[in-house]
Amino acid sequence: MAYRPSKRAKHGFEWIHTNITPMMNLMVVLIPLLLTSAEFVKLGVIQLNLPPAAVGPEGEKLNELPIEDIKRLDLTVTITNKGFFISSSMAVLSGEREGEPTIPLIMAQNDSMVHDYGSLSEKLYEIRKKAENRFPDYDRIIILAEPDIVYQTIVNTMDAARSIKINGKRQSLFPNVLLSAEVR
Amino acid sequence: MAFIPSHAKKHKTDPGEVRLQLTSMMDMFTIILVFLLKTYSVHGQLINPSQDLTLPSSSVQSSPELGLDVTVSYDWILVNNKPVERTRDVLKQEGYIIPALQEELRLYASEAEKMEKKYGTKFSGKVTIQGDKNLPYSILIKVMATCGRSNYPNMRLVVYKREG
Repeated sequence: MAYRPSKRAKHGFEWIHTNITPMMNLMVVLIPLLLTSAEFVKLGVIQLNLPPAAVGPEGEKLNELPIEDIKRLDLTVTITNKGFFISSSMAVLSGEREGEPTIPLIMAQNDSMVHDYGSLSEKLYEIRKKAENRFPDYDRIIILAEPDIVYQTIVNTMDAARSIKINGKRQSLFPNVLLSAEVR
Repeated sequence: MAFIPSHAKKHKTDPGEVRLQLTSMMDMFTIILVFLLKTYSVHGQLINPSQDLTLPSSSVQSSPELGLDVTVSYDWILVNNKPVERTRDVLKQEGYIIPALQEELRLYASEAEKMEKKYGTKFSGKVTIQGDKNLPYSILIKVMATCGRSNYPNMRLVVYKREG
């Protein structure tokens, strides 16, 4: 016959408390330490490096450079109140009709007209695919804007020109951004 | 007659050893600790965003670097928190150079170049530009042109990082 445990031999459980006081001490020290070095707003920077020769105090060194006969792309995005114009050294990409922006404004949810950054990214992606390795400046883009275009719009345009997300993967477009002074 | 406590109930009311319940506090601390570890930055805050402007947000990944601080707020253009020129007046000015800003920047540049000669600290011509998100392009380009012409060609536009 199998052995049956005794019914009388019942031991009550002794409640075991973990000693968490040293852990508490650690927390009390760690939390103020981390609080002081915490970064609550994440800041970033957009790099814009001008070639130093072209912007020297006199600005005349530019003329000493030999004239290049290599064909350059000189891709330019012009931000206007009507939309984006995309142009290069060869041609201006026209929109639906002549004289209309390449990418017109689109209607936002609250019935206001906004710039269409998504279409801009897609268009630039097409251009990038065609231009890759055919021009020496295939990763450079010049951004022009009308005087009353606000800073946020310019930053958004730079973002759209820098990279595109295709199937969840980020692909580089034209990371080398230049800002140009005037709308011609 | 005086009240005599019941001998039978004497052991019932004895609470024994009283312990402080720290477990829930530990839970809380653990969550706070994880949160703080996530927001931890090695460098601390290199750039203090100004109070009177809202920076634009962008999807850039690069982190801030130290440089001369040029702030363009609604009212003033400041170099290292020292007001230089009224933003309103810049709109009226002809050309791309803001004289007051250029003078100030040249002062800093010559100072930095002296430091370079004396102590060998490299002058990199870095300038961080903080601008309000509603700043018109005409002012922004003037500030940038002035920086470029005043020995500060390496410009960094300060933005808020946006996820995604």
